[in-house]
Amino acid sequence: MAKIKSVEDAPGLPLPEAAYMPGRAYDEMFLADGSVREHYEALNSRMQELSPADLAERQKIQEQLFLLQGITFTVYGADTTVERIIPTDVFPRIIPAAEWAIIETGLVQRLTALNMFLSDIYGEQKILKDGILPRELVLGAPSFRREMVGLYVPHGAYANVCGSDLIRNEAGEYVVLEDNLRVPSGVSYMLANRDAAKRAFPGTYRQAGVAPVERYPDLLLTTLRSLAFDLRANPQVVVLTPGVYNSAYFEHAYLARLMGVPLVEGRDLVVHDNIVYMKTTVGLRRVDVIYRRVDDDFIDPLTFRRDSSLGAAGLFNAYRAGNVVIANAPGTGVADDKAVYAFVPEIIQYYLGEDAILPNVETFLCREASQLSYVLANLDQLVVKAVGASGGYGMLVGPHASQKERDEFAAQLKADPDNYIAQPTIQLSTAPCLVDGRIEPRHIDLRPFILSGEKTVVTPGALTRVALKRGSLVVNSSQGGGSKDTWVLSQ
Amino acid sequence: MMLARVADSLYWIGRYIERAEHMSRLADVMLMASLDQSESAGQSARIALAAVGEPDDATAAMDPLGAAYDLLFNREDHGSVVTSISRARENARQVRDQITAEMWERLNLLYLRITAKDAEREFAAGSSSYLHGIVADLHLFKGAADATMSHGEGWRFLLVGVYLERAQLIARLLDISFGASRTPVTDHLVQMSLLRMACALEPYLRVYTSDIQPRHILEFLLFNEEFPRSIRFATARMEEHLKAISRHAEATGAAPERLAGRLSSRLEFADPEELAEVGAGDILKTVVNECARIHGAIYETFVAYPIDERLPA
Repeated sequence: MAKIKSVEDAPGLPLPEAAYMPGRAYDEMFLADGSVREHYEALNSRMQELSPADLAERQKIQEQLFLLQGITFTVYGADTTVERIIPTDVFPRIIPAAEWAIIETGLVQRLTALNMFLSDIYGEQKILKDGILPRELVLGAPSFRREMVGLYVPHGAYANVCGSDLIRNEAGEYVVLEDNLRVPSGVSYMLANRDAAKRAFPGTYRQAGVAPVERYPDLLLTTLRSLAFDLRANPQVVVLTPGVYNSAYFEHAYLARLMGVPLVEGRDLVVHDNIVYMKTTVGLRRVDVIYRRVDDDFIDPLTFRRDSSLGAAGLFNAYRAGNVVIANAPGTGVADDKAVYAFVPEIIQYYLGEDAILPNVETFLCREASQLSYVLANLDQLVVKAVGASGGYGMLVGPHASQKERDEFAAQLKADPDNYIAQPTIQLSTAPCLVDGRIEPRHIDLRPFILSGEKTVVTPGALTRVALKRGSLVVNSSQGGGSKDTWVLSQ
Repeated sequence: MMLARVADSLYWIGRYIERAEHMSRLADVMLMASLDQSESAGQSARIALAAVGEPDDATAAMDPLGAAYDLLFNREDHGSVVTSISRARENARQVRDQITAEMWERLNLLYLRITAKDAEREFAAGSSSYLHGIVADLHLFKGAADATMSHGEGWRFLLVGVYLERAQLIARLLDISFGASRTPVTDHLVQMSLLRMACALEPYLRVYTSDIQPRHILEFLLFNEEFPRSIRFATARMEEHLKAISRHAEATGAAPERLAGRLSSRLEFADPEELAEVGAGDILKTVVNECARIHGAIYETFVAYPIDERLPA
């Protein structure tokens, strides 16, 4: 596809010195000839009216709002700790209704199949008996929890809150980069960004007809309650946080506040006779559903890591006894393992008899000798990721790395090939962002949130993460990424 | 019903907010008094410093600006305004889901303001208006709590913290000025400073006129029923909130509301004439000790109770 090639072709934006050059990537706002895509027209005409000073002012107001509300993450330094906001771009990313319909059905299909996969591998393991996936790839994954085998899980919904990362390739096709089925975060930014965008572009927002995201907390609570349908009427739901020092603490508190349920820490919980209680001012009160934002390893020192003080001793036994629901269920991580990911299209086909609506990114498993040699020969073209890592750590972006970095990574790969997968480097789509007073294209991804209990629902919105460094393809906030609001149009 | 840890945090937010306000006011009064070149100024400074727990330090009294600066910005000092506001905010962060956005934003703004890079410069440029701003912001926080938070259990824990801290701070201020083994303050200007430190000058004048006397100051700050910074008033509110909180509690062994009620009655029915005869030392000592017991009883009843006693049979 033709792309904007020269400054002359670049679209006219209110800041003339900022030539808008998305390069090879698919641009969300502009066509190759520099004209504006239809669904961006309302925003474009507003952008034309605003001066650079107006835009800078809006950006500043937005940042102050986030700082004031305490929407921050904490950076721990040698002698000082600093609270930073995740940079939020003023311009929304816009998705037309027709595109969203595909994303939505694709995500529901995917999570439905993944939950069926989890039910199966913690049950009869038919998919392994039928040889669809290598047995050791699943049972040998560190995220596979033997403790979960044979346990009852309400509605077979293991992953109740899922945040899948989607990207758009050079052709503009949405593909799934990874699934996050453990304790995905970022949904508070979806909500906070919406709040900020409504203030920054109120008229445009109204004119565009944007689907609301504000029901998310309510849908989450409904999902969590639906998991306790056979436990007690009016189940007591709580959010379990590792505490105020966790980088996602703001989100934990935000969700608890918006759902109107207690935000508990491990030290607030007591397990007695396989029943979980929280310590209140009037004594101990029973807890039925725990939306935990603590990793599997840390939820119960008696069952998992002994040195953990973040969970509650005996929690897993209470869960096993069916007296409390833990969401997401322990052991869901095996379904978002980066090696299992490569098989998701087969998993969908196996359980649902359907083709995957949202394709995967082509993935090379380094555990296979032939694929490993291909990966080693093409390191400068590929992105290599450690199977167990997340957050942008332990990865090599081949085209952006030095020869020395690639050589070092190749040595690691050869030493432990099972631990790595590789994918072609995809130019993520770009969208206009305000950077240092200029409007420039930056690469973005898309993290929608899917809830699964009695029903599976997708909130019409998402966290759009932005790689703020020019040309960078890494959007993780731990690696200097930012975010922007995502407008899903109702029609 | 609320999490015990949450109640604890709300209680401490109340205490730290009250402490920050009191210390800001002491610093302000000390600086204002020091503008006068007189013995009264030195004495006012010494009272303020003694009230914040500094030993009777003559060098500090010679440098009121330095002392005020320390009282505000010294993070090593457990009683400083910056420490109190930081701790109040840290507690607020832990119960972010329980307080309102208005309260959080007000407290967060205060924190950002006092920890900002140019805070110290701003203070140096105009100490009085800076301190005035801090106190006004603290009032806004309390106002936001009153106007936006449900007046339920959590709000009551916050206010128990405020009033318990207030009773202790005023008792300490009075003890330094009129307690047993102290030379009572008699200087008119120093007594005015003292009333200002309790934010009580104008309310006092309306009751007793500008004829300022130690026994009237004591009577006003100990026994006045209507003045919000009198110890009687603070104790009565503590009793009221603790009674409401205790209605739902299962165990009533330590009964903080009973302790608060007893102290409240003692102040309500005290004979002001006695003060003139035996001095204020005894009653001030009682206030400080009883406040400590109430604090302990709150913990024993609501926060750090033994789990075994509360398990279902």
